[in-house]
Amino acid sequence: MHKIVEIKDLVKYYQTGENVVKAVDHTNLVIERGKFTAIVGRSGSGKSTLLHIMGGLDRPDSGEVWINGKNILELKDNALAKFRRRKIGFVFQDFNLIPSLNVWENVVLPLGLDGRKVNEQEIMQILEKIGLADKRDAMPSTLSGGQKQRTAIARALAGAPSIILADEPTGNLDSQTELEVMNFFKRCVSDMGQTLVMITHDETIAQMADEVILIEDGKVEVRS
Amino acid sequence: MKMVRKIAFANMKYHKSKNILTGIAIFLTTLLLYMVPTVGMALINGQFAMINELYPMWHGRYRELDSQIVEKLEVHHDIARYGLRSDVGKIKDTKAEVMLFYMDKECMDLCKIHLAEGRFPEKSEEIVVTKGILKEIGQQGNIGDTIRIPCQIYRNGGLDFAEEKQFVISGFLEDAEMEDENRTYSALVSKAFFENEIPKEQRVYRFFFQVKGTEKNILTDEIEERIENIALQFGIEEKQIKINNEYLAANYIDAAFVSIITGIMLIIVFAGIITIYSIYYVSMGERIQEFGKIKAIGATKQQIRQIVLWEGLAVAMIAVPITIIVGTVLAKSVFLGILKLYNDESFMVSTIDVLFEKNQVQIYYWWIYLLAIVVTFITVYISLHKPMRIMAKVSEMEAIRYQMGESGGRKKSKKGYRDITVGRLAKIYLSGNKKKSFMTITSMSATGIFLMVVATVLACATPEESANASLVGQYEISIADETGNKEHPEREWSNIQQYNPLTKELEDRIEQINGIKTVSAFSEMYVSLVDYENIREGILGIPEEYKDTLMDGIIEGEVTYEELCRGDKVIADQNLFRWYPDIALGDKLKLIVQDDDTSYEKTVEIAAIGDYPIGFTNFSFLLMAKDGVETFSEHNLHFYYHVLAEENYNEKVKMQLEEIIAETEFLQMRTWQQSYEEHKAALALTCGACYAFLGILGVICIMNMMNTMIHNVHVRKKEIGMLQAIGMSDTQLLYMLQIEGVFYTVGTLILSVGGGSILGHPVYQWAKQNGILNIRNYHYPVNAAIIVSVILFLVQIVLAVVIAKSVKKESLIDRVRFSE
Repeated sequence: MHKIVEIKDLVKYYQTGENVVKAVDHTNLVIERGKFTAIVGRSGSGKSTLLHIMGGLDRPDSGEVWINGKNILELKDNALAKFRRRKIGFVFQDFNLIPSLNVWENVVLPLGLDGRKVNEQEIMQILEKIGLADKRDAMPSTLSGGQKQRTAIARALAGAPSIILADEPTGNLDSQTELEVMNFFKRCVSDMGQTLVMITHDETIAQMADEVILIEDGKVEVRS
Repeated sequence: MKMVRKIAFANMKYHKSKNILTGIAIFLTTLLLYMVPTVGMALINGQFAMINELYPMWHGRYRELDSQIVEKLEVHHDIARYGLRSDVGKIKDTKAEVMLFYMDKECMDLCKIHLAEGRFPEKSEEIVVTKGILKEIGQQGNIGDTIRIPCQIYRNGGLDFAEEKQFVISGFLEDAEMEDENRTYSALVSKAFFENEIPKEQRVYRFFFQVKGTEKNILTDEIEERIENIALQFGIEEKQIKINNEYLAANYIDAAFVSIITGIMLIIVFAGIITIYSIYYVSMGERIQEFGKIKAIGATKQQIRQIVLWEGLAVAMIAVPITIIVGTVLAKSVFLGILKLYNDESFMVSTIDVLFEKNQVQIYYWWIYLLAIVVTFITVYISLHKPMRIMAKVSEMEAIRYQMGESGGRKKSKKGYRDITVGRLAKIYLSGNKKKSFMTITSMSATGIFLMVVATVLACATPEESANASLVGQYEISIADETGNKEHPEREWSNIQQYNPLTKELEDRIEQINGIKTVSAFSEMYVSLVDYENIREGILGIPEEYKDTLMDGIIEGEVTYEELCRGDKVIADQNLFRWYPDIALGDKLKLIVQDDDTSYEKTVEIAAIGDYPIGFTNFSFLLMAKDGVETFSEHNLHFYYHVLAEENYNEKVKMQLEEIIAETEFLQMRTWQQSYEEHKAALALTCGACYAFLGILGVICIMNMMNTMIHNVHVRKKEIGMLQAIGMSDTQLLYMLQIEGVFYTVGTLILSVGGGSILGHPVYQWAKQNGILNIRNYHYPVNAAIIVSVILFLVQIVLAVVIAKSVKKESLIDRVRFSE
């Protein structure tokens, strides 16, 4: 087994008033390279917190997160930012595109931040694959929800990261568009060998995954 | 309505951080609106109270009047109060200058001269002196004691032979510090003495008076006009009139002063309006979705407008009272702080301090409170007007669909960059928010331009230049002559000429002093103007080394230096025409030249009109080449030695020159340093007040930038979070914020320094023409430009660092999730 992510004894508690919410509670987890892993669970079960800590967007109270053999929690802020833009691609439920940049600029943004030269051909190929080649100059405000999410996916793929972390990427999409997006994600895993970790509420999507992890009360309950 | 207010207050609480920012801006602007007029008025009041305490209270004074005119003036219907003063003579042969004068009680009252003890002299032999005078004449005495004084009485237009007089001391005048310092004193004699000693037809009076009808609000201009009209009726010339401008300004309404104060207030109001407007403009535009949702659930346009208005007003309603309390406490401290700053340097300022202690200086005015409050609320209303309209117009669907930052972009597509860098990200953001950037830069620049204009005027007002204008070179040695003193006929210029101490030998001696570069001799000849009641004027002879200065000063007409050497052409200083409005360019002036014991007639033509500094002309209105003046007499006419030294001030050089001067009683000296110190002291308070005002404007300017930069990050919290989520490092974020800050800074500097430089020049010309702060030459305010630039850059750098750090206070994921 080639593991890409290994989480060891991860803890993240929140204090809400007098109550302590155990978002991640002594969780251990291994994710294999080149696989599509779906994380499922009820609202508030701690799946998003787990994904965010895995991507270095949030810091845990304790524990370790190893990606590609590196404990990312030991990295300082600037180094972590560099690590993120090189190794991780994020896709969020509400797209999070930069409104003042057009589709192309949004997609090449991680490369620009990393100081890498843009390979125009490669980016065009990604845009063609996700069906946005004709929208390269379009502003986000003119795109439909599906187009926006595809742009966000293209952005996550542009830097050729080892791992894509997607937080309910189809949550805001209609079923037809949802299918389009999921097919595209699947192709990424199969064609490009990337690892996909996706949070979803959707049973159908979960069934498309190579592995499904059920989170309850901040703990990994079932792996299938 | 209740619900509308509830939503508005709920909004205010929800957008706490934004509203705190807006509240701070309102606080600072209101503080300025309150503090500037309050402290300004307190300083002006203090000055006026000081004037009323120290300055005489006559409105006008006519001098050199004979008894006949005085008798007519006494019954003039426009004169409310008057007093008479006459110079009776001088005490002879003391190193100090002791003047004997007569003054009636009304005049003493108008001039605020008080007896320290004793009573007013009534009998012919009675006199009022000061302790200083007794010390100078080497006598001692108390009230009732007899003293003997050798004095010279003014008769026939000059000082008569000395005679010893016996006086009984009837009182003492207060000793003034300045009198002791300068060794110039005045002793008061009785009317009886004055009338016994000087025949009626030889009596010359000074007539001090107040005009009638000043009980009601009257303009100082009206009072001046009346003073001039009365003078006109009795043929009193302009140069015989003195108007007590300081007293008039302190007690009546000065239209020019009111307009200056109004102008300053308008500038502050303008700066306040554009700052608050800019803040609201920047902050409200981002809340379209929020108001759209309220509209979607049934709020009418009117209600939306009211919600926006109430939220803004609620912030102002909290900020304004806090400001008023803070301002009330601060105003007194600032006023006392300014007084303390200048207390040691100025007797006038220390008088203001004393008057303040006695509660004679009012600081707080109800109308300033009202003005600050009303202007702030009007400003807030004006600033909210546009956001109210925008929010009311938003369609429900548009608002719901609205994604932060997307509504402004009407563009469907754009040709973007192939590569995205941090610099390009900043550029894209700024170009996508043109209106906001324009508003920020314009509002910052408006204060910046004003700041540069005031700085230009202050840069032009230098004590160095004022000293340069009042004195040629570093030392001026001149003849100390006196006219009409029978006891000392040798002091007449016509006599001094015959054994003039300003010889070539003296010139050489001075030039040999270590530290002296050159000595230039200017000649002078006194002449009487035949067609102008034989009034005595001096013709100044300019040496060849000052030929260029002489020629460069010509503003009308043409003449060469060589022509001026012939002695029949003169350049008239433009000030001549103030006193002799009938004289014109090209006129031929008939002169009587008094040379030695003889006199002869001569005619000179006014070939040109010139504009020269006082130090160059020494108040002579007629100028010629030195050779030209010297054709008037065979004697040595050297009157001034202008001495150029290597340093502006050198104690050793000064002492050596003083030693030379002490060798004869006919020489006197002025120094550049002395003049410089006088001008510096006069400028200190004005410049201090102006710089304080500029500092406050600078704070407005910086506050505006702070607001925009903080806001830019606040409204982009999610976007910045997103950028960081996909890999923007802290360093890159700081760099991006700095680029944005530099854009505002550079934009503001280009407009402020550019616009300020362009506008500064005409303002300098206006100040020069009106004789404000003795301005003569234009100086670009380099220091102000550098200080403004450095401060703006520093503030922007610090702001970017602080803002970038403050962004990190919230976790990255919270920012990514952030929604308006």
